[in-house]
Amino acid sequence: MEAIQQFLIPFLDLNLLFLVAAGTFGGIILGAIPGLSVTLCIALILSLTYSWELLDALALMLGVYFGGVFGGSRASILINMPGGPSNVATSFDGYPLAQKGEARMALTLSTIYSFVGGIIGVIVLATLAPLVASVAINFGQRDYLLLALLGLLLVGSLSKGATAKGIFAAGAGILVGLVGMDTIGGGARFTFGSLELMSGVNFIVALLGLFGMSEILFQLRTLNQKGVASFLKKTVFPPLRFILKFLPISLRVSIIGVFVGALPGAGGEIAALLGYDHAKQTVKKPNRKFGEGAYEGVIAPEAANSAAIGGALIPLLTLGIPGDAVTAIFIGALFIHGLQPGPLLMEQSGDLFWVMVGSSVLANVFLLIFGLLVVSIFIKIVTVPKQVLLPIIAVITVIGSYSINNSITDVYWMLGFGIIGFIMKINKFPVAPLVLGIILGPLIDTSFRRAYMGSDGFGDFLFGFVNTPITLILTIVFIFTMLGQTNIFTTIKGKLKKG
Amino acid sequence: MNKYFTKRRFLIYCTAIFFFILAACSSNDSSGASEDNFPEKDINGIIQWGEGGATDIISRTLASVAEDEIGASLVMQNRTGATGAIATQYVYDQAADGYTLLFGAENPNLYQILDISERDYMNDFVPVTIIGQSYAGIVVNADSDFETLEDLVAYAEENPSNLLMGTSGEGGLPHVASAMLRNELNIEFNPIPYDGDGPLAVALLGNEIDVTVLAVSAAQEYIDSGDFKMLAVLNNDSLDSIPDVQPITEIYPQFETYLPWGPFQGIFAHKDTPEEIVQKLSDGFDAAQNNEAFTERLTDLGVDPLNLHGEDAIEFVQANQSTSAWMLYEAGETDISPEELGIPPVEK
Repeated sequence: MEAIQQFLIPFLDLNLLFLVAAGTFGGIILGAIPGLSVTLCIALILSLTYSWELLDALALMLGVYFGGVFGGSRASILINMPGGPSNVATSFDGYPLAQKGEARMALTLSTIYSFVGGIIGVIVLATLAPLVASVAINFGQRDYLLLALLGLLLVGSLSKGATAKGIFAAGAGILVGLVGMDTIGGGARFTFGSLELMSGVNFIVALLGLFGMSEILFQLRTLNQKGVASFLKKTVFPPLRFILKFLPISLRVSIIGVFVGALPGAGGEIAALLGYDHAKQTVKKPNRKFGEGAYEGVIAPEAANSAAIGGALIPLLTLGIPGDAVTAIFIGALFIHGLQPGPLLMEQSGDLFWVMVGSSVLANVFLLIFGLLVVSIFIKIVTVPKQVLLPIIAVITVIGSYSINNSITDVYWMLGFGIIGFIMKINKFPVAPLVLGIILGPLIDTSFRRAYMGSDGFGDFLFGFVNTPITLILTIVFIFTMLGQTNIFTTIKGKLKKG
Repeated sequence: MNKYFTKRRFLIYCTAIFFFILAACSSNDSSGASEDNFPEKDINGIIQWGEGGATDIISRTLASVAEDEIGASLVMQNRTGATGAIATQYVYDQAADGYTLLFGAENPNLYQILDISERDYMNDFVPVTIIGQSYAGIVVNADSDFETLEDLVAYAEENPSNLLMGTSGEGGLPHVASAMLRNELNIEFNPIPYDGDGPLAVALLGNEIDVTVLAVSAAQEYIDSGDFKMLAVLNNDSLDSIPDVQPITEIYPQFETYLPWGPFQGIFAHKDTPEEIVQKLSDGFDAAQNNEAFTERLTDLGVDPLNLHGEDAIEFVQANQSTSAWMLYEAGETDISPEELGIPPVEK
């Protein structure tokens, strides 16, 4: 009963209600700007809200968190530049949809299913938090390795036919991801004695360059052609039956999203990639092929990354451990306001938990309302002439890459990636696998080495893959996903069907 | 056509005004610093570690109190990377006028010995103040068979390099503490590096590692909740926050020479900064650290308030560097001799 009262606090307190609404709205707008990451916005809010009441600060931060992760998809769909790392997968099918004149449909569907994913994330947080946390804690290094390898298998589908080029790009991405100080051995890798290179390549910088700057350079070539706007299809709001059709797939990817979000070593970007992969593998008859504008290709990553937020809050509130970079700032906020984030947080300040759950639900409701209301405003971006739009985005990508670490080196990296991305694009190399490699490379490297260091020789290392239930399941999934793509497997399957 | 033309002209005007404002801002910056009137403009605070961590929280809380005492706004920025070496180098590269300060932790003390960077607190910086110190403790999972430090040591003696020791990379607490244990007790661990205190706590909760060394502040909550056991605290006295945990000197008195030792937070300026300016800053931060709300926040974080200045601060940094550097060298963790770098050995 008490829990319900606390849950309702944000709904009844006008102040909190307003802060959540303002945060969500601001988050959608800021998140949609490539380069202004959610982490950056929340870090700024933290320093602004030092003297505020804790709940006020948290309400605003939660609003920005949900709004920002969602807002990033606007840019993925409309201009093929993910607003943040969680929205990379959304651009795979979102941008093709926009190019086919279905931007409005893509924006609407992604809004509805961001809401669905977000709500599922919060429901799991409210009901199963301790259970999910205990599984997430026991997620070992081999499990992270298998998860990252599963993500890496996406290279096949991201290469759009040019598999060899895709594998090459992913390999190059892994190498770039390894630049800097090796967290395991402490040695410097590919730094050529430069201190700037010691901190490695931030993957958001790579993202801004490869998707943002390179896209600008690429589009300069077609500057005088008419924009997409000229053949924007007039879509009415989709009928309810059409929307409900996607509910089963969104539920499945949301569960994946919550769980991946809850892992202390993986966040929304990996959740979205795995969600996309799951949709691609299980949806038998998409409206179009994946990569060419499938509705599920927009729905799955957006549901997964929204659900991952609820997931990321689970280890934060049950164990005091951040699930991603944003929740790490939440921990700072709790400390600053005199709380001790840790396993006792729920006992000592249980009201906090339910107020946060309530605020999260509220943020999702506002997300749905604002998201649908501003579709028409966002869609105007497509009608802005490229001569005006591209320079603005170019400036934003520079500001964005500088602001991550206040470092001019990052701006040079971004420009470098922009040129590399441009060269790749005109030579028909897919850039997405390169980003995939940069994101997953370090995870594969560290998890493999930690797993190996912790085992007693090679035999013991291999045995570890079938030793515990979680790892065994992941190993089987990995093997089947791998073999499922080969010719032998399809022939066997064909023969079995024939009887 | 005509309509387009005016639009374009409007844009040009806008850009011109924008650059004019930019130029106005920058000309403000270039005015020379005079020692008497310090501070004449905002002071930049560069934080070595990321948002939400202990160094970040301490720096930002102190900065917000110190603004009034110093009489200038403190603009705080996080510049992370290479265990803080990026921020350290950045502050070193700025003008030595007291307008750029480094809010750092203990890490630069070991940059030279571990070949991470050429910068170093003792040679390149002058401490404005040392804010506080925390302590480290040896922790195991609550389910662990080891009840005391002696159990752990006895097991490690029989099975060298069998126990998995979670570390937080080169020069981190567990790395230096393992060297300490190896030097004095001759025991070997199998080190597995993680990315910091948070991931280490996760690994210990999931029983992925057998033992690790955590700052008491990072371990406190898990000890209170019954998830972790702390076998000993690396100090010569027991701590108020965990009175039941034995200090290591009570078990092995030979550790006395290394102690007190632990992570610390401080504010540093370029070594060529005029003395009057360092003094002014030092006074300002001194007054700020006497703020009750601030000391309370420090204690919440498990940090012992020190508020050291001048010679005391230099001595403190030197002692910490000597202990860590010589310990790592004697344990064979590095080939670079502290003697060649001019780091004096610990006085026994």
